[in-house]
Amino acid sequence: MNRIQKKIWMLASVVLIIMAIIWIALTYYNQQTQNQYNDILQRYLSMNEVTSSSQQVVTDLNNFLLDPSEENVDKLNQSKVKLNEAKGEIGKLRNSENEFALMNYMNLIDSLIETTDRSLMFYEESDTETSNKEFTEATRLSKYISEMTLTLIDTELRTYDVFYRGIIDQSAEFKKLGIWLMLLITLVLLVITYWFSLSITRPVQQLTRAANELSAGKFDKEIKVESNDEISFLAQTFNRMRININNLFQEIQQKAQLEHELQQNKLLLQESQLKNLQSQINPHFLFNTLNTLSKKAYLEGSEETSDLLVSVAGLLRYNLKWLDKSVTLQDEVMVIQQYMNIQKARFTDRLTLHLDIDQSCLEVQLPGLTLQPIIENAVIYAVEPREDGGQIWLRIIDDDNMVMIEVEDDGPGIPENIRRQILNGELIETNRASTGIGFTNVVKRLRLFYGMENLMDIQSEMGAGTKVLIRIPKTRGIEQHAQTLDR
Amino acid sequence: MRKAGIIVLSFICIFLSYLTFITAQKAFQSDWKLPVASSHKEDRFRIVLITQELDTPFWDKVGKGAEQQAQKSGASLEVWGSYGKNQDDFLKKLEIAIQSKVDGIIVQGLDTDRFKELTKVKAAFYGIPIITVGNDVPKAESLRKTYVGSNQHLAGMMIAKLMLSDMGQEGQVILLSDSQKEYYQEERLSGIKEVLQSFPNVKTVYAETPETREQVIAKTRDLLNQYPEADGFIAVNANTAGAMIQEIGRRGQVEPYFIYSFDDGSESITLLKQKKLDGVIEQSPEMMGRKSVDVLMQWLKNETVPLDADGYSSEIRMIKAMDER
Repeated sequence: MNRIQKKIWMLASVVLIIMAIIWIALTYYNQQTQNQYNDILQRYLSMNEVTSSSQQVVTDLNNFLLDPSEENVDKLNQSKVKLNEAKGEIGKLRNSENEFALMNYMNLIDSLIETTDRSLMFYEESDTETSNKEFTEATRLSKYISEMTLTLIDTELRTYDVFYRGIIDQSAEFKKLGIWLMLLITLVLLVITYWFSLSITRPVQQLTRAANELSAGKFDKEIKVESNDEISFLAQTFNRMRININNLFQEIQQKAQLEHELQQNKLLLQESQLKNLQSQINPHFLFNTLNTLSKKAYLEGSEETSDLLVSVAGLLRYNLKWLDKSVTLQDEVMVIQQYMNIQKARFTDRLTLHLDIDQSCLEVQLPGLTLQPIIENAVIYAVEPREDGGQIWLRIIDDDNMVMIEVEDDGPGIPENIRRQILNGELIETNRASTGIGFTNVVKRLRLFYGMENLMDIQSEMGAGTKVLIRIPKTRGIEQHAQTLDR
Repeated sequence: MRKAGIIVLSFICIFLSYLTFITAQKAFQSDWKLPVASSHKEDRFRIVLITQELDTPFWDKVGKGAEQQAQKSGASLEVWGSYGKNQDDFLKKLEIAIQSKVDGIIVQGLDTDRFKELTKVKAAFYGIPIITVGNDVPKAESLRKTYVGSNQHLAGMMIAKLMLSDMGQEGQVILLSDSQKEYYQEERLSGIKEVLQSFPNVKTVYAETPETREQVIAKTRDLLNQYPEADGFIAVNANTAGAMIQEIGRRGQVEPYFIYSFDDGSESITLLKQKKLDGVIEQSPEMMGRKSVDVLMQWLKNETVPLDADGYSSEIRMIKAMDER
């Protein structure tokens, strides 16, 4: 059975029980009063019975004396029996108040019967005169009995006067009791009903409020209903639903954020491609021109200049060609060597590049133009400003399933805040002398390419140099990202 | 607001509960007690005292004494009787008592045939002992067991002596008796006459009158007319004293007359206080009541058998008007 129904049943049974108790009490009391009334009436009736039956005896005796038939004898005997019975009844009415009178009364009845018998006896002995005398006495006795009955009833009334008044007072009190009881019960029932209805409607109201809030979009407020019935069950279910919706909502938000990031990355890529395209017209022309210049320098016997021009042309071609493709580390190293050739031509002895390359790691795939911007940065910040030049170390080290690439310089170092900005991809570069792709671009591209954070680290000490560490997995973690990038 | 509402509500609740409780208590509690239904069959002797003059000071005292004694000896007693010497009623009561087979009857003697027949035949038939009190009837005629009360002969002698001492040994005295010629009055008269015999100078006039007031007044008037020199009056029946004095008072001064009576009349004591009566023979009604019950109980319990047929005398004494304050 469910709870609300149980509650209603309970209320109904409480009301029913109260009614039943009152009804039983009233009935019981009524019964008692009725019994009392009956007893009282019975007393009077018994007394009256004596009077009438004694008169009947006398009448029957008279009839018999006038007409001594069998029938009249029977009648007389019957009425005597009746009188005796009435006397027996009277005996029960004895109490301390009327004991004396009642005793007299009963003896009077006895006397009447005896007198009657005597009258009969004399009649049978044909002593009519005595018989008649006895009859007269019987008549007198009957009269006395009647009078005594009245006296007894009078005494009775006096004795029971208080009692009767008590009964009257009691019934008046009873009427009052009825009114008070009704008022009390009405009040109590009203209170109980109010409290009871509240226990049903309050949870419903709470639930309604919660539903309103939910519909208004507030998913973070817990739904709480103080109740122990179905409403509370409903509330719990509702609450679970709210939590589920909330979770879904958050998931969708996360997805949206992810999408947003992806969009940004695409934009980034497009930017680099645009830059690439912008420089595409000139590069081909420049490329051809550089080749012509290289041949011309070679023909004129300036082999060094010719080589430099070839390096520049190679770098340029690589720049145009591999920007949006993944390349091997081998290619990257080659480009760096070409780039360093060019820079050597510029800085001569001021620039020293130390290469320390583990040849087994050169097959690793990585986005094109990853190392070049870092080396270029090192040249710009660590070598260019210093008259006595600087040194740059490039190390490629096998580190289990990763390849560690270190680019170290002995320049002035990078301030801490800038270092952090670079790593977080927040620095907006003012492009002075790079070939077009900044440090930040590298950081972001690496992150997207491998789908991993923390691939890059910068260690720097002011005045003692900077060390850029790039860790590249030997196998790419997320192919999807690569595909997205490869498009 | 809500809190106040709850407080008010609970107050009303408590108030109503209180009222309900009080009325319920009143409605269900019966503080009146019904007489206990007596089941004890132990036979207490039922005694009836029957007098002709209920509600007179004298007989009230007798009844009171009898009730006290009855309570003491554990008998139940009822006082029945007639008012104002209604003989029919009195005899009816006596017959009812006999027919009711009470254990004993104490009765004010009445010197009539009907009374004698009832006591002699009926009571004897049922074996009910009868004691006369206050007024006696001759033993032989009534078969009474005994008599308890004043020695009326002695009382008559006392009243005569009292009068002689007041009036002197010379004068005319009117003795007013009633026409019933009851035994106790005869006794009194015989006592009075016995004393006055020895004083030849005191003339006595004997007169009888029926007991009704008008007739007493008429008789008194006659007597006063007939014997204007009368010096003293003795109302042998105390009940006639009132009417007699009233008539004397109408004629002239009451004081010069020497008027005497007994205390068993309804007006006796009042008249004595007003000094209209010069002297009264006072009997001891309470003692009579007590003694009669006592004697009857003795007989019923077989302690004293037979009872002294001559009777048990109770005290009598004279009261003069000046003794009374």
